[in-house]
Amino acid sequence: MNRLKNIIGTAVLMMLALPVLGQDWIVPDEQAALANPSEYTLDNVKLGKAIYTKNCKSCHGDPGKNNPLALVPVPVDMASEKMQTNSEGSLFYKITNGKGVMPPFESSISENDRWLLVSFIQNYSPGREQVLLDLPPIKAKLLASVNEAQGLVDIMAEYEDANEVYVPLLNAPVIISSKKAFGNLKIGETVTNDQGRAIYTIPENTMGDEHGYLSVVVSLSEEYEAAEVILDKALVGTAKEVPELIRKGVLWSTNNNVSLWVLISYILSTGGAWMVIIYVIVQIVKIKKYSRSS
Amino acid sequence: MQKTESPEESRRKLDKIVSDLTRSILLKDELTRFWFFILIMFAGVGLWGWILQIKNGLGVTGMGDYISWGLYIANFVFFVAISLVGLLISSVLQLLKISWAKPVSRAAEQIAIAAVALAGIIIVMDMGRPDRLLNIFLHGRYASPIVWDLTVVSTYLAISLLLFYIPLIPDLALLHERMGPELPTWKRKLYKVLALGWKGNDLQFKTVYHALRVLMILIIPVGLSIHTVTSWLFAATLRPGWDSTIFGPYFVVGAFVAGTGALIILMYVYRLRYGLKEYYTDMHFDRMGKLLVLVCLVYLYFNINEFFVPVYKMKLAEGVHLKTLFSGGYAFMFWFAQIVGLVLPILLIQLKFFRRPLPLSLISVVILLSAWFKRYLIVIPTMEHPFLPVQNVPESFHHYKPTSTEMLIMLFSFFAALLIISILAKLFPVITIWEVAEEQGIDKEYLTEKSNTQ
Ligand code: HEC
Repeated sequence: MNRLKNIIGTAVLMMLALPVLGQDWIVPDEQAALANPSEYTLDNVKLGKAIYTKNCKSCHGDPGKNNPLALVPVPVDMASEKMQTNSEGSLFYKITNGKGVMPPFESSISENDRWLLVSFIQNYSPGREQVLLDLPPIKAKLLASVNEAQGLVDIMAEYEDANEVYVPLLNAPVIISSKKAFGNLKIGETVTNDQGRAIYTIPENTMGDEHGYLSVVVSLSEEYEAAEVILDKALVGTAKEVPELIRKGVLWSTNNNVSLWVLISYILSTGGAWMVIIYVIVQIVKIKKYSRSS
Repeated sequence: MQKTESPEESRRKLDKIVSDLTRSILLKDELTRFWFFILIMFAGVGLWGWILQIKNGLGVTGMGDYISWGLYIANFVFFVAISLVGLLISSVLQLLKISWAKPVSRAAEQIAIAAVALAGIIIVMDMGRPDRLLNIFLHGRYASPIVWDLTVVSTYLAISLLLFYIPLIPDLALLHERMGPELPTWKRKLYKVLALGWKGNDLQFKTVYHALRVLMILIIPVGLSIHTVTSWLFAATLRPGWDSTIFGPYFVVGAFVAGTGALIILMYVYRLRYGLKEYYTDMHFDRMGKLLVLVCLVYLYFNINEFFVPVYKMKLAEGVHLKTLFSGGYAFMFWFAQIVGLVLPILLIQLKFFRRPLPLSLISVVILLSAWFKRYLIVIPTMEHPFLPVQNVPESFHHYKPTSTEMLIMLFSFFAALLIISILAKLFPVITIWEVAEEQGIDKEYLTEKSNTQ
């Protein structure tokens, strides 16, 4: 009975879904005709890229690299022809309203930012000059140390110049984050000075583990290819209050936190019973002994 | 207890008792062989199922992520329940000085030993990695009812063995003295070793009485806890159907019902097979019948309480669970266990006719069957209704159906239990000889004599 229900349910769902899957994404004409109010400049494309990296990259991947998330339908590559045939207005409309797996961003990204996204997508349009070039990353090196007493991270950055010599990296953004179980959590950013050096003060309320230890990760922005520096177990955070996961006395508590009354009851009753058993065994031995007396 | 007149009279009586009560040991006919063949064969086939399971893992069972307790645990609870008859008959009734219960007590102890041994084995069979059994003792957590259960099962087994063995000592000496070449030498040697050089002097009898008394008192708290702790395996969780405060006594009384039923069947088989009409008399069955009604009534009371309260409230999760029992997929089993297995026996056994050996034994078979149903109903339906929402899991996760491997292993447990009982009956008298002699007023001095018939 249940299986039949499931089959029918699945069939109905598929019938409903098929037209949606196959359907073209229709954008009303007056929407498609809208023009991008934000200017097509390097700055705007850069701003758009930041928004893209934060909101869209997880599904759509890097433009031109065809590395989207494996979804059905596949999130379209930003540099692909399919994407680029969209007019400015229809890109805006699609980002705003979404469709199926593609979420609507009407409420989560401001209108201005959505237009900046359009500018970013247009960076890959064949009909336009690419203002933001995806250059191969520059080789760089990072050095960092932590001063626990003052809560400071001292950073030195170098990069490989045209002569393949490492020279100080000036005015480059450095990202400071904290290593967590499922990736890095950004704490803040700083910029190297004219000697390629930066000092970052860890904010006082940064949460560490239950003792206040923090694994600080220092990295450069995407344009640089540099191994990140991990400063393990730096005592620069505030101690986190960890609630005891396992309360005392319950079924699944470990032997370390078993309630005393449970332990004592167990030992007393088991010990008591076995003492009596041993006593009875002694009686059996006695029976054997008594066989010698008349 | 009447005083027997002459030494000749006493000796003659004792000879008869001994020849009657050693029949189970001496019987060597086709039927005995066939019976052992059947037992060993089926137990062997069942054991093969276990070998398959060890080889291929627990995946061969119907258990899964949501229903992780199945046939094995239901069976385990059933066997623990049966074993409690040892406590009832050979301790409580003896301490109450109910004399008719004396000849029944060794049979009760046989059941207790077999059932509790199998209960322990079944637990191991339910393990995916039985080779890690020792870890329960090495790394067991004292807060876990599972560790308590293991403790209490092994303690109860030890006490049951002692309670079986100690009254046997005088009998073993007597058998060793009286039995001749009709017994294989290894058996006589065994009797000799186990008899501990019994002379039958006052000091020894006093020690036997004393040790027995201590054990009878000890087995009451241990016996009660073995089934109470088993019930806590369930009741210590929050699941609908298990989250109950009366689970302990509810299980204990249910166990008395199942155990008494099992004992009646065994008594009937012994009476028929070994010609023990004069020892398991109609009176004994009559009394056992009355005892059965008593425990059934108490169990009925607990059942009403156990279901009436949640039914009245019909809490959300509890309601879903109760509906499957009352009118859902388990309705047949449930109502069978309640009506055919409980209410009907109570009504029928009121009539004297149904307290006669055969009708009472037949009723006991039905009671035993529904007692098994009842354990299944306690374990599995609740497992099928976890509190956590079951989402996005295969359809098969929602329901439990035992696989053939599980059936095989269950087969093993039943036949192995019967095998233990049969071996005990083949090795030792099923009724304590010296107690019967004592009851018939035969002086103890005759017990250690060599038989004059030889
Ligand atoms: C949850 C994954 C996901 C996220 C996040 C996501 N998209 Fe999409 N996107 C998709 C999928 C899947 C499609 C294809 C939808 C279809 O064709 O039915 C799509 C389609 C699109 C299209 C239309 C392409 C065409 O076929 O014309 C645009 C434009 C687009 N996404 C832009 C964005 C932008 C900009 C963001 C970030 C603000 C974003 N997407 C975030 C999954 C996503």
